[in-house]
Amino acid sequence: MTIKADNPTPPSVPQPKAATSPTPGQPEIRRKTSTPRKVSTGRKTATIATWLALGVVTVAFIYPLIWLISASFKPRSEVFDNRLIPATFAPENYVTVWQDAPIALWLGNTVLVTVLAAVTVTISSAMVAWGFAYYNFRGKNLLFGLVLGTMMLPGAVTMIPTFLIWNGLGMVGTLTPLWANNLFGSAFYIFLLRQFFLSLPRDLFEAAKLDGANNWKLFTHIALPLCRPALAVAFIFEFQASWTDLMRPLIYLRDESTFTIPRGLKAVLDQYGFGGNWHWETIVTASVITTIPMIVLFFIGQRHFVAGIATTGSKG
Amino acid sequence: MSAKAARTALLSVLSVAALALSGCATGQANHQTTSSSFDSSAQLKGKLTVMGFGTGDEVATTRFDNAKAALSGVQVNLLKGSLDIQQFLSSVASGQSPDIIYGDRGQIDSFAARGAVIPLDDCISGEKIDTSSFRKTALDQVSLNGHVYGIPEFNQVEITMANPVLLKQAGLDMADIDGSSWDKITAASQSLSKTKDGKLAVIGYDSKLPDFFPLWVKANGGSLISDDGKKATLDSPEVVQALTFAAAIYQKQGGFGAVKAFRDSADFFGKGNQFASNTLGAMAMEQWYVNILNDVSPKADVDFTTFKDRQGAPLSFSSGSAWAIPKGSPNPGAACRFAKSMTSTDSWMKAAAARVQAREKDGKPFTGLFTGNQMADQKIKDQFVKADPATNWGRAIEASYTANESSFAYPANPAGAEFKTAWQDAVNHVINGQDQPASALAKAQQVAQKALDAGWAQLNGAG
Amino acid sequence: MLSTSSKRRTAKQPRAARASTKGDTRAAFLFLSPWIIGFLVFTLWPVGYSAYLSLTDYDVLNNPNFVGLDNYRQMLSDPKVSLALGNTIFYTVFSVPIHIIAALALALLLNRAGRAAGFFRTAFYLPNMTPPVAVGVMVLLLLNGQNGLVNSVLGWFGIQGPDWTTDPNWVKPGLILMSLLTLGGSIIIFLAALRAVPEELEESAKLDGANAWQRTLRIKLPMISGTIFFLTIVNTIAAFQSFTEAYTAFFGSGSSTYGNDAALFYGIYLFQQAFTFLHMGYASALAWLLFVVVLLVTLIQVRLSRRFVYYESAQP
Repeated sequence: MTIKADNPTPPSVPQPKAATSPTPGQPEIRRKTSTPRKVSTGRKTATIATWLALGVVTVAFIYPLIWLISASFKPRSEVFDNRLIPATFAPENYVTVWQDAPIALWLGNTVLVTVLAAVTVTISSAMVAWGFAYYNFRGKNLLFGLVLGTMMLPGAVTMIPTFLIWNGLGMVGTLTPLWANNLFGSAFYIFLLRQFFLSLPRDLFEAAKLDGANNWKLFTHIALPLCRPALAVAFIFEFQASWTDLMRPLIYLRDESTFTIPRGLKAVLDQYGFGGNWHWETIVTASVITTIPMIVLFFIGQRHFVAGIATTGSKG
Repeated sequence: MSAKAARTALLSVLSVAALALSGCATGQANHQTTSSSFDSSAQLKGKLTVMGFGTGDEVATTRFDNAKAALSGVQVNLLKGSLDIQQFLSSVASGQSPDIIYGDRGQIDSFAARGAVIPLDDCISGEKIDTSSFRKTALDQVSLNGHVYGIPEFNQVEITMANPVLLKQAGLDMADIDGSSWDKITAASQSLSKTKDGKLAVIGYDSKLPDFFPLWVKANGGSLISDDGKKATLDSPEVVQALTFAAAIYQKQGGFGAVKAFRDSADFFGKGNQFASNTLGAMAMEQWYVNILNDVSPKADVDFTTFKDRQGAPLSFSSGSAWAIPKGSPNPGAACRFAKSMTSTDSWMKAAAARVQAREKDGKPFTGLFTGNQMADQKIKDQFVKADPATNWGRAIEASYTANESSFAYPANPAGAEFKTAWQDAVNHVINGQDQPASALAKAQQVAQKALDAGWAQLNGAG
Repeated sequence: MLSTSSKRRTAKQPRAARASTKGDTRAAFLFLSPWIIGFLVFTLWPVGYSAYLSLTDYDVLNNPNFVGLDNYRQMLSDPKVSLALGNTIFYTVFSVPIHIIAALALALLLNRAGRAAGFFRTAFYLPNMTPPVAVGVMVLLLLNGQNGLVNSVLGWFGIQGPDWTTDPNWVKPGLILMSLLTLGGSIIIFLAALRAVPEELEESAKLDGANAWQRTLRIKLPMISGTIFFLTIVNTIAAFQSFTEAYTAFFGSGSSTYGNDAALFYGIYLFQQAFTFLHMGYASALAWLLFVVVLLVTLIQVRLSRRFVYYESAQP
């Protein structure tokens, strides 16, 4: 069960036909009960091989992270020793990096930008998605085509003029350019949320309309609550995208005190790394500090990640 | 949201957008610097925003405090972190210039070419800055078309550092690796270099490419650029020969890739550094590393001598930092006095005294200060430096001072970053095995000359 | 995300049979207004201005200077453009198929893992949460030719690993190897698609005596060909714009003069031209070349897909 677990949709709501428009609650990742087991030796070896392969791959996927965390507790001279358990335990790396770099400030900036980016993009995209999903008007397909078309445009094309806009507004050097574009929605989330809105039964809204609900109320009181899981997907995706972004902070931030954590990590790397003279322990520790919040986010929002990604694919 | 509220919101967003569109032009408009008078007796006020400077040690903090005191009435605000070219230029472009910047001398010229920093001639005469006390090589690096664009601060010089135990085992001594004979360096590197299990275990000699390429060129009697800074000479025989030699040092040790990967994984700043761990025979290196070594491994087997050119004369490539005043600096008067204070002989003396005290407290020797102010250098040396040539650290200090007196710099040029990128690319291609020295440098020559021509055109156009 | 199939589907979507009314149109545009404003200010104007800038010499400090097609002419003779384009194409051509094949293989394995699939799915997705900056740091650490973890592991099998981070022939393979850490998303999408394959199809094939391999090849793969196509396009577009990992590991504002050309991706060169050298005009021209290349590649892929992709929705 994925999203549907906390979907407040009343049971009476009919699900749309999956073939034409799968709901974002879909695809439901439900293991079909397998056929009665026939125990043959060939099958057994195949099963063992499957598990073995999965195990090896899992180690390959997870070990780099474990390596990184382990290395962050090693003194400089042992970072490269590739031991799992540090020979010399050096928690002071965390103190050093905290003293050498304004990590707390960077974390604060990042949280601010990330939350603003995720909240604004979720709300604005939902509004736009609702506009496309519920209403009929001339030129709708053309406009929606434009929305999708913007996804084809490499960011590089608009990067420079966008920089010039913020530069003209005197906002280069502030955190605003990192999130304010999100006030205007984002094509990918508009697409995602529109699919969800389309799956909601129209009767629900017509009934509310008869009860005197205006357009805004239909959206805020009925549509939004019903698509909370999809909103969560948009929020979480944008949270991750914003947290890990390096390009925009590179373009827009000047002063160390305004850095986000990835930008700060890059600064630490440039300062303690390039020139061929590496303070690996500091760099590794800063990397871990940058990564941990994302891992926490993943475990909190795992359901939404899996559901959201799976949905993305099925729409393709 | 009512329709009316929505319309208001829409309107306000649109007006912001309109502002954004029109605002793009404003960035270029306000470059006129208020022709504020630079006067050493004027009472200063207002704010001073400093970009690019870090107060990491007592030499920096002492002078910074000193300068703040000299600017009584001015509120000094330090933006931390090293100078980022893009950040600085975009701040100038958006009319939010800091009051003063601290950057690499090589960067200041290209800022000047873009019109991002102002000539300091008025500042120097108004504040009565004694330029005669500055090292000429340093001042030349920040002068273009007869105008001075920066007030030099630190001076960075290189010396030769080597592991005497490894040398002895190989039957070598310092004279074999000090640069006076390239054949000897090649031979020494080969006998010092060791591999174990197919992996590099000891780097014989590290020619520190690409960073130290200008030094090798000069040691070979060549130059990367003509004396007037207008013609690139990257394809000259001396330059090609220098690259061929310095790159071959790596090729004979399993390639640059192996040396760099090994160097990258070394504990450069720690007690397991390449000398303490006996994993490096010798290298040319900047003087500041002496302090690091002395701090983290005072007992390590390391010895020092000057770097020499092929005629056997001491040589070092002078690089370093300088102060410059951006175009649009809101408080250029304060900026100028700040720069004067930071680099005055008096200020350096105070900083040296603070450093000496700090070192003594740790029971460690004072290894000298190397600045763009040669008068300060001399006074500091006379008053504070006690170099005992019988010890390795004493020899390090002696070598550093000799190097400082024998430093050279390439002429300033307005192509700065692009010129540098051109020769670095050539060097990188050669050490990575992607190209041969002659052809790589011939390509670089074209790129560099094009950048120089464009830079000079821009400078003369802007001037 | 965008693909023809999605467009096709939305176009075929049965709309609530209701004529558009004036009130509807007004309400719809109010909801769409964030996107419309954003589109005008942050897409349409930038696209136009970028096209104009590409015909100028502009360094932000001085007014744009019209130079006609000079920038485009310069691109033809700039060896770094061909180098960067070559690097990017190399990276794309190798990383995308490897990515797709590996993700598909792992999804097929996971599809056999039964109840434990959830655990492995988590494990496979976790590295996806690592910020690209931290991945860049890991490139330098794990792939260090002399003491890195990867070469140590290769050493167990008697293989002497290459100097991944310094040997120009191995820098891109190293980056491709590290990019495999982000397979998780594609695995989840493939897994969802595989589970949507109707069980009856497999059952009947089984009755016809098809073995597991044949069933995979003849039934599962054709049934999920739309997903394969979708992921190929998305990953291709992303690969063409890859920036952060390579930029973090090999470029930056540090004092280093060593930059490995082999990692100079097109996005990095464009960024450098725009924001390090402030050649905004030239960088705009570079952006347009990228746009054209990505567009062409996508169109070719769409054309090819018509032959190979099986569309469920195309069935009666």
